[in-house]
Amino acid sequence: MTLQEAPPITALLDPETVQSIADEIWPTLVGDGEAFVPVPVAPPAEVVSAWVTISGPWNGAVVLTCAPATAGALAESVLMTRPPTVVDDEDVADALGELANVLGGNIKSVLPGPSSLGLPQIGSAPTTGRLDDVCRVNGQWRGQSLTITVQGATQALHPSGTEVPQ
Amino acid sequence: MTLTATSFDWVRQLVHRESAIVLQPGKEYLVEARLLPMAQQRGMSGVSELVESVRNRPDPATTRRIVEALTTNETSWFRDGDPFTALTSTVLPQLLAARRPDERLQIWSAACSSGQEAYTIAMLLADALPNAPTRVSITATDLSQQMVERTRAGRFSQLEVNRGLPATMLVRHFTRSGNEWEIAPALRRMITASECNLAAPLPRMGPFDVVYLRNVLIYFDLPTKQAILTRVRQLMRPDGWLFLGAAETTLGVDENWERVVLGRGSAYRPRKGA
Amino acid sequence: MRALVIDDSRAMRRIVGSILKDFGFEVREAGDGQQALDALQEGKAEGWVPDLCCIDWNMPVMDGLQFVVAVRANPELRQVTLMMVTTESETGQIVKALAAGAHEYLIKPFTADALRDKLALLGLLPEEVSA
Ligand SMILES: C[S@@+](CC[C@H](N)C(=O)[O-])C[C@H]1O[C@@H](n2cnc3c(N)ncnc32)[C@H](O)[C@@H]1O
Repeated sequence: MTLQEAPPITALLDPETVQSIADEIWPTLVGDGEAFVPVPVAPPAEVVSAWVTISGPWNGAVVLTCAPATAGALAESVLMTRPPTVVDDEDVADALGELANVLGGNIKSVLPGPSSLGLPQIGSAPTTGRLDDVCRVNGQWRGQSLTITVQGATQALHPSGTEVPQ
Repeated sequence: MTLTATSFDWVRQLVHRESAIVLQPGKEYLVEARLLPMAQQRGMSGVSELVESVRNRPDPATTRRIVEALTTNETSWFRDGDPFTALTSTVLPQLLAARRPDERLQIWSAACSSGQEAYTIAMLLADALPNAPTRVSITATDLSQQMVERTRAGRFSQLEVNRGLPATMLVRHFTRSGNEWEIAPALRRMITASECNLAAPLPRMGPFDVVYLRNVLIYFDLPTKQAILTRVRQLMRPDGWLFLGAAETTLGVDENWERVVLGRGSAYRPRKGA
Repeated sequence: MRALVIDDSRAMRRIVGSILKDFGFEVREAGDGQQALDALQEGKAEGWVPDLCCIDWNMPVMDGLQFVVAVRANPELRQVTLMMVTTESETGQIVKALAAGAHEYLIKPFTADALRDKLALLGLLPEEVSA
């Protein structure tokens, strides 16, 4: 959309704010007593990412990255005590995507607006052309590596949503 | 390391002396859970080590933090609904009719926690009275210094604004500040927040037209409840209104109050001639 | 009481749905705004009209705001209480949703207590639960 240079993400957001948002999400969505701990551990060999894009005065993506096994455990925890007890791949993609969505929406509200949020996507992390423009929190959940990356982009990563006539 | 019986007993007595809060035997888990973060912060192995260290080297700042850590600050906006509906539907119109226009109505949120009760009142009055900031003053007090500071700041997390605050009021009276929400300065100025221990002689305040004394008497024993109700009554106007928590009552505690049914809830008024 | 939970995440539908069931709601689900309109249409045929819709904002096909507008344009659905349940939390968006006809707005993440508080505000809690 606008090719005008947006401020770097580091000027708009600090890791403490990202952490404080995660501190609200983990106990409520992942489960009672659960926490995203901002202490890095060795990154896994294989990773999976879930992300949502943000388009507006600031363009980029909010990405959650972890090992596939951690993604499975997160999904189980999110769905805990709620049937079905067996989580399949679709459940994992769905739960990880929803975590990215809730992180993304709350982070979006801290950034300059108005802006819109894309639908959750899952796979290997998006490339955006501004790879140096990141605010990242490397942390862990239940001892497993988990990374939250807020990644700037040079342009909108999703078409802006349809406007509803008032 | 688990909490020793002597450590628990020391904490129980300290908390009772400083706040009148009763920690029954069986509440060891609570003491453990609330004090463990403090112990860990000081690089100590457990709560008993923390207790031993303050017993050996008394330090008012630490004992105070221990007492504050054992208060329960659970609160929400419009908690239980009725006491706030009654304020605008019955109490406020009666008070406005009874008072001179230049008389400021005085409302007290005693045991205000992080301020949701006091700001609920401020929002309702701001919406009901065009001159609310000059017509009403709200006093908010709590034992906990940390809670008084939070009330003064008027900043609330996303999770806190989610607890019972109507969305229309959120957008009307708050602005975003980072990932928190900040109450409008005009409403913040309606509230004076200060520390006050209800279980000790009260400072000169009031006289109050309305007192919210909610979800705090439950922590005290009967003589403390009686003493607090007496002291509160002495700071109230004779035609004032007292709101208690849903699980609290003056009945069987202090007979100098008259219970009045207001809508689905109730309020208490000083008994004439008491 | 009856509720229609509209969210593209099945995890979220399950979470919201199970809390509502705890409060005695009979719950149906839809994965986007269009599916929700279809569910309302089908429900009408069997006399099933929800008391409450919990509505996510960002969904494929038809988003939550468009759904609110569509429901508000239908006089037969005037009784239905509409609550956004979404991570969208810019002030401007909350205002927009309320202006379009949503009655309440719950921001994700939320606790079961927060959902319960909103139901109490909307007068949708059964007596024994609100006591
Ligand atoms: C559960 S909160 C109630 C907050 C609010 N009134 C409500 O109903 O939501 C109880 C509060 O009482 C305070 N408290 C406990 N003992 C007290 C005392 N002795 N004097 C004053 N406040 C006290 C605590 O610090 C805590 O914030």
